[in-house]
Amino acid sequence: MSTATAFTDTHVVIAPMLVALVTAILTLVTRRSGRTQRALSLLGGVAYLVAVARLGLAVLPDGVLVYQLSGWPAPFGITLVADALAAFMLGLAAVVSLAILVFSLSYVDDQGQRVSYHPLYHFMLTGVSGAFLTGDVFNLFVWFEVMLMPSYVFVVFYSGRRHTAAALQYTVLNLVGSALMLVAIGGLYATTGTLNMADIARRLAAPAEFGIDSGPVLGLAAVLFVVFALKAGIVPFQFWVPPAYRAAPAPVSAFLAGVTKKVGVYAIVRLYFTVFAAGTLEAGLGLPGLSGRSFLAFFGPVLFVMALASMVVGGVGAVSRDDLDDVFAYSSIGQVGFIVLPLAVVATVADPAIRVLGLVAALVYSLNHAVAKSLLFLVSGAVFEAVGTLKIPQLGGLTSRRPVLSGSFFVGALALVGIPPLSGFFGKLLVFDTGARAHAAGASLAWLALAGALVGAVFTIAYLSRAWSRAFWGEVSPAVDRAGRPVVLVAVVAALAALVVAIGVGFDPVYGAAEAAAEAALDREGYVEAVDPARFEPTDESSAHALGRLPGVAP
Amino acid sequence: MTQVLLAVVLGLLFALGTFLVLRTDVVRVVWGVTLMSQAANVYLVTMGGLTGGAPVLEGGHGGETGAVTDPLVQALVLTAIVIGFGTTAFALVLTYRVHEEHGTIDLGEVRAE
Repeated sequence: MSTATAFTDTHVVIAPMLVALVTAILTLVTRRSGRTQRALSLLGGVAYLVAVARLGLAVLPDGVLVYQLSGWPAPFGITLVADALAAFMLGLAAVVSLAILVFSLSYVDDQGQRVSYHPLYHFMLTGVSGAFLTGDVFNLFVWFEVMLMPSYVFVVFYSGRRHTAAALQYTVLNLVGSALMLVAIGGLYATTGTLNMADIARRLAAPAEFGIDSGPVLGLAAVLFVVFALKAGIVPFQFWVPPAYRAAPAPVSAFLAGVTKKVGVYAIVRLYFTVFAAGTLEAGLGLPGLSGRSFLAFFGPVLFVMALASMVVGGVGAVSRDDLDDVFAYSSIGQVGFIVLPLAVVATVADPAIRVLGLVAALVYSLNHAVAKSLLFLVSGAVFEAVGTLKIPQLGGLTSRRPVLSGSFFVGALALVGIPPLSGFFGKLLVFDTGARAHAAGASLAWLALAGALVGAVFTIAYLSRAWSRAFWGEVSPAVDRAGRPVVLVAVVAALAALVVAIGVGFDPVYGAAEAAAEAALDREGYVEAVDPARFEPTDESSAHALGRLPGVAP
Repeated sequence: MTQVLLAVVLGLLFALGTFLVLRTDVVRVVWGVTLMSQAANVYLVTMGGLTGGAPVLEGGHGGETGAVTDPLVQALVLTAIVIGFGTTAFALVLTYRVHEEHGTIDLGEVRAE
């Protein structure tokens, strides 16, 4: 058992969650004094970034850090696991959420900030951090709920006619999703006998030893997959995305698109590529079009279809909308397709080098989408603040009146399109590289991935250039002529645009982090070994006797 | 026998919940969601197995306990019930706000605007 010093060292794992939770409570208590509350909220955002950076530095040399809640060893207690993948996602969340927070301080009206905005924001961040760090499937459900509840309130934040209707749809859909998730988790517990992710992976690798029937586990994993796809807004579970993003305040849409969606993506990577990938079927799938015995052989084609459908639905939707927020919302459906596509390739190929490359592509694209899409939603917030409308026909000529704002939009759009040297270029490059190498290695569906990525890229260029030429170029419209000057908002937006350029120019460390994260995601043995769920496996002693040796239980 | 009975009851609960969620009346939709999450809770309890005695360790740790039911699922259900309680309350408040904003709780009319 680890010594006292080892325990203090692993406290760094829960630091991000604690910081966000404490900030949420402090901002709730200080809501009578607006200025103190804002200062605390901002301080909390910075402290969150520091805590995540500290965690990242700790994960870098140690590989996997494990925090056993109350000292109960896995699989009896709740285990929190910080590896390179979790650290990568937390880093993404910390940077984006701080920029969004600064933007909100100036964007959201005083009344709204005082009453609920800051506590809700930090509670949502707590839920996101918990979901990234947990190593227990039921605990994942709890963090999902912690993350979702503030988002329900945020969608109805302005509580107008449109917002209540959108919030109702969003809430009901996610409540049904939560019920489904409970069903899947309960079933997994009954079939595998554990809730600990590392323990599930260990048991699935040796199903006969633990008396597990793999078939039902695959079915339950598929049910769980639906819930994650719903959170990530992948077709056919995308229909809640546009109304919810349009109803929520601009900075919250930026958070939902930039960070919350990535929680769904993270859950898919963690559970299906680290945990369920251990599972194999005894008799093969026996379904038309699906062959192979591994669980991933089932999810590969499913991911392919969903990714391609997302690109087409998102692309067609974005091209045909006349509202900037709508364009960006449909765009994020399409862009998630680019994240899922390399995952589909990873699920279908066996070559370890291509598998790592595919996950790197998905993670780099997630980072690029998180920064660039948040940037675009913040641009739409700043445009709304300055001009008072987001209808593309009423905009026009913003380049001559608000050059910095327009320039930032341009940078964000180019990043999504994938122009070098911006962050998006490497994301797109890696996605195409994954497809090409899988094709060269003889993967049957790889040409489809390449064709799909090409179609998706063309759609991206089409809707972004349409938004650019209609809303930012052209004749100065009367509304734009009267536009105000939201200095702080534009400064935040410009800072994010600079970040997009910086990630692209200094891509080496980002690639290093993504590669470490991808390797961590595929390193099942390392994950299981670090969590060590077999430590208290009763051998010849009775299990009650083994429990007596647990720390925290007086013998 | 209990297993069959519970399976039938769970099937009925989920079916009724799905039916209500697909109505146009917002209150019924909220009822449907509540019913579904309660059905998920009942399902969760059954996942611990139905046989076995009370999970009580008499006479301190290390004593003989025999076959006990799994107490973990009951802890899970408690958590799920608390979360479901909060979300149901929010959904009902939201229903009231929808009525205030739109003057109707018929989703067909809410959508038409």
